[in-house]
Amino acid sequence: MTPAQHTDAVAIGEGLPVKSDRAPLLTLNADRSPIFLGLIETWRQRELFYFLVWRDLKVRYRQTALGVAWVVLQPLLMALVFTVFFSRLGHFDSGGIPYPVFAYAGLLPWTFFANSVSTGSSSLLANSYILTKVYFPRLLIPLSVVAVRFVDLLVASLVLFVLMPFYGMGLGRNILLLPAMILITGLFALAVSAWLSIVSVRLRDVGTLLPVLIQLWMFLSPIIYPATFVPARWRALYSLNPLVGIIEGFRAAFLGVPFEWNSIIVAAVLTAGLLIYVVYVFFRWEDRIIDKL
Amino acid sequence: MQPIIQVNNVSKHYSVERTSSIAPTLREVLTLKIRRPHTNGNHENGSDLWALRDISFSASAGEVIGILGRNGAGKSTLLKILSRVIKPTHGEVHLFGRVGGLLSLGTGFHPDLTGRENVYLNGAIIGMKRAEVRQKFDEIVAFAEIERFIETPIKYYSSGMYLRLAFAVAAHFEPEILLLDEVLAVGDGAFQKKCLERMRQVSSQGRTILYVSHDLPSVQKLCSRALLIEDGQLLEDGAPEEVTASYIKILVASSQES
Repeated sequence: MTPAQHTDAVAIGEGLPVKSDRAPLLTLNADRSPIFLGLIETWRQRELFYFLVWRDLKVRYRQTALGVAWVVLQPLLMALVFTVFFSRLGHFDSGGIPYPVFAYAGLLPWTFFANSVSTGSSSLLANSYILTKVYFPRLLIPLSVVAVRFVDLLVASLVLFVLMPFYGMGLGRNILLLPAMILITGLFALAVSAWLSIVSVRLRDVGTLLPVLIQLWMFLSPIIYPATFVPARWRALYSLNPLVGIIEGFRAAFLGVPFEWNSIIVAAVLTAGLLIYVVYVFFRWEDRIIDKL
Repeated sequence: MQPIIQVNNVSKHYSVERTSSIAPTLREVLTLKIRRPHTNGNHENGSDLWALRDISFSASAGEVIGILGRNGAGKSTLLKILSRVIKPTHGEVHLFGRVGGLLSLGTGFHPDLTGRENVYLNGAIIGMKRAEVRQKFDEIVAFAEIERFIETPIKYYSSGMYLRLAFAVAAHFEPEILLLDEVLAVGDGAFQKKCLERMRQVSSQGRTILYVSHDLPSVQKLCSRALLIEDGQLLEDGAPEEVTASYIKILVASSQES
């Protein structure tokens, strides 16, 4: 058969030789496709998403000798270190809550966030051997990173169910809001991870700089100290860090102290805004990024 | 006859940034290698590369089309565009069927996972549904001839076993349009024969195959048509025997040049 090509056949023509009577399943060209189509396709490929999450969980739990124990040990050891150094030396007023419980409840969302971001920021680079061979919605990659860390969070949370009774504490009604807190944390972690995963392809220095920034961010968040430790006149500015609302929200949910609604609302609003922006940036850039991988 | 793939004037442009870094990226090295003096005026500053220029062809259901060309001619770029990994800079491609691209074997295979786990993972990555993999699982394992080691992590596999398993998954993936990049020349002679047989079977079901290879005998045996790409352009489109002959001429000419 003759490979007849008619560029002008693309225009609405009648009876052109190659012009199809059926519409193509898919047309590939340089045009940007609408973002909602990208989101729909991401949803359709959720089976692949499960597989990517399953792969990472399986591999990690098989590779490291302690496997699942690390997920608990990482925040637990940090809580121990904080307890030894900061509660004795800093005399932070944890509001009558035993300091180890206070620190661990703060480290839970922090570890979830920090691990998501540090793995997520390099996730496109790390999976470039797949991304340059097969097409699928690339947002699945940072999404799967956050999902894996979410599973870690669930496992690590179990420690509190041992730690709290040990100190004679019980759970109250506040725990009902925990899913909402986890959701905000997860979406914020996703937004930051997805954004950095795109940026770090262009600027590979991000990978080097990030550990320092994450460390700094930790000290700017109420993990080793309570948010009330920050002078009242700085509090509003301080709360612009979404992790302030998130971490205090986690503590309130677990430990039964009152929710600090202002900072939680700030965190939720900032997360929503950032996420919309990042999804937009991600879909606009993902094709150009593949050329750079 | 109704085309299943229609490629209209497709070009792909890469802008290569000049970096001041001492270690160039792999792509910079590669593009330096394939750049030709006459391709584009901008080439002096090393900022432009047309990997494909104005490619047009169409394919109908059941055709097996071999794609020939030297390294860096643009064959893989073409398959990457057809499989949606990259977007064309100009032109467009109409696809009238589901595309499955196998631009490398065992994409996403993980050394720490078992053969069974990797079959499911690789299947999902190349676009198979879980139910589809489950249904064909025994067939895949039998095809790869690794029944005994299916629960063993694949880091303990020999490279032959690894490739056989990877090919077996790919061979049981049945989209309407199958793109294969250098993936058939796997394993020993007997296994290669089995691979070619399988591909013939796939095309006899009315599926279209685009097959990139440097292995000329397999192109002649398998394909009903061949394309020759040189320097990003489509030089020839015709019967496999004629196109392989032209390709050999180009190879001979270039070896005499150097």
